[in-house]
Amino acid sequence: MNNRTTTTTAAGARPAAIGSFGGPSLRLPLTLGFVAIVFVAGAVAPSYFAGDFMLRLANEGLLLGMLALSVAFLMNQAGLVALGAASIYGGAGLLFAIAMSEWNMTPTGALCASFLIIVVYATVLGALIVRTNPLAFMMLTLAAGEMISHGVMLEGLRDYTGGADGLVVNFKGSIFGMEAADFASPARFWLVAWVGAWLAGLALWAVGRSRLGAILRAVRENEERMRFSGFDTYLPRLIAYVLVNIVAAIAGLLHVLNAGFVSPESLGLSISTNTLVAALMGGIAGSVGPIVGGLIFSFAQDEFGARGLTQLLTGIVIVVFIVVFPRGVVGGLWSAARLRARVGRRETS
Amino acid sequence: MLKVEKLSVSYGSVRALTEVDLEVRGDGTLHGVIGPNGAGKSTLLDAVCGRRRPTTGTVRYRDQDITRRSVAWRRRQGMARSFQRTSVFQDLTVYEQLHLVAQHLGDDRLDDVIAVMDLAGYLDQKAGRIAYGVQRRVDVALALIGRPHLLLMDEPGAGLSAAETLRLFEHLRDLVRERKIAAVVVEHDVDAVFACCGTVTVLDLGRHLATGTPQEIRADHRVVAAYLGTAA
Repeated sequence: MNNRTTTTTAAGARPAAIGSFGGPSLRLPLTLGFVAIVFVAGAVAPSYFAGDFMLRLANEGLLLGMLALSVAFLMNQAGLVALGAASIYGGAGLLFAIAMSEWNMTPTGALCASFLIIVVYATVLGALIVRTNPLAFMMLTLAAGEMISHGVMLEGLRDYTGGADGLVVNFKGSIFGMEAADFASPARFWLVAWVGAWLAGLALWAVGRSRLGAILRAVRENEERMRFSGFDTYLPRLIAYVLVNIVAAIAGLLHVLNAGFVSPESLGLSISTNTLVAALMGGIAGSVGPIVGGLIFSFAQDEFGARGLTQLLTGIVIVVFIVVFPRGVVGGLWSAARLRARVGRRETS
Repeated sequence: MLKVEKLSVSYGSVRALTEVDLEVRGDGTLHGVIGPNGAGKSTLLDAVCGRRRPTTGTVRYRDQDITRRSVAWRRRQGMARSFQRTSVFQDLTVYEQLHLVAQHLGDDRLDDVIAVMDLAGYLDQKAGRIAYGVQRRVDVALALIGRPHLLLMDEPGAGLSAAETLRLFEHLRDLVRERKIAAVVVEHDVDAVFACCGTVTVLDLGRHLATGTPQEIRADHRVVAAYLGTAA
């Protein structure tokens, strides 16, 4: 599914290859208009129609969706499964809380510091592990994630991390004009999370359609051929790994701003596996699927928890989704729509 | 163009190549490499292109020792390889993958490669859905992009009929002659090799057996005894 401009060659007009953006098209203004309507409606409508409880669930779903987006992008573009997403998500929040309480930084300063530390960590870890094969990569991200999540529970670090009790965020001041109460308000936070999810989705969508995305997919498909075509196959994967961890870190920072608290569970394996499930449920092929998957998962978990059968029903739903929607909900609906359009075109012609 | 000196490659305790010498000139002739199964032909190409690190020996390319250089570096310096088993991007269209590589190597004459390999009719098709013979051509086309100085082709005729193999060899011979580049071709189809190659090297059990013109090789009793038999 490529939007291509045409370039004229001796072979005749030829659609431009992957890595180029679409040119003028009748569909483009309509698509942009539709997207703008969805964006504005989604930003505004929930605050009017949903109560605080539903908005809280939706906020959690959006943040889980952003985290799922980071995992989905790496899977889809690079063929790599990262099982340590929670360590970045929770780790960013924990660093923010530590920066506020221990280092006495301003909220903006703490945000920047925790973000930078995560970027450095992701770069160093990525430099070591993206060289490996996909299975080893998955296990190494799991190991690194578990190392972090258990490390914060060490008695020697308890004064910084709060240990099993977690850490309350000592938020004084404001970030981009928003204070602690604004971030804690479900309705106001929904707007922040919605914009954050859109920006993350658009950014990764743009990367996916760029030359970097084309190279990542080609490396995923045939790494050896890429090397034999003169490509460095290491650096693109490292860049992708750092980018997705940036998205995960942003999700984690938004989470801690909203919750006002960071618990050790937010760095744990269950968050990482929930993230993977959300990505698979929604679909990993684009930016919309993981966000939708996060929302579905968040609401489903609440519903199942109310019945006291969280784990059982979650397991059943996962199996059903993967059987009925092997490409995820969004992927399945998209395929169905395209098939219907193709059938419609055949019938009219 | 290419000088291989005392090249040895071992896989554990198995010696795949033993002190092989090879010299290839960049004068526009095809240099064929033949030998029975297990002779070390593919291993030789692997060592030259960097896919396999030699145990001992050197590989010199354009007067530079490249023994320790990476595969990607060699490619960017104009050493291209095609594979015995077709290695293309199944989920990309023919044009997408050719363009991706051409863009990276700064080759703005992709149309020439498309024309030479007769791929114009398949550009919009995904490589995974085209016939094997066309996939072979895509594989070779990927090696031709970037105007390489040295082509290393590992059984380019594998899976093709005798007629298709001969046609491919003739294509390659003309291309190599026209561009004055060097090409080393490993091939089992001895008839095609003798018909199109100006120089032929014979390997047997990892050792160099003989190098010469096709006529000299046919007449070499060691080669006849080890490989060609009475058919030559």
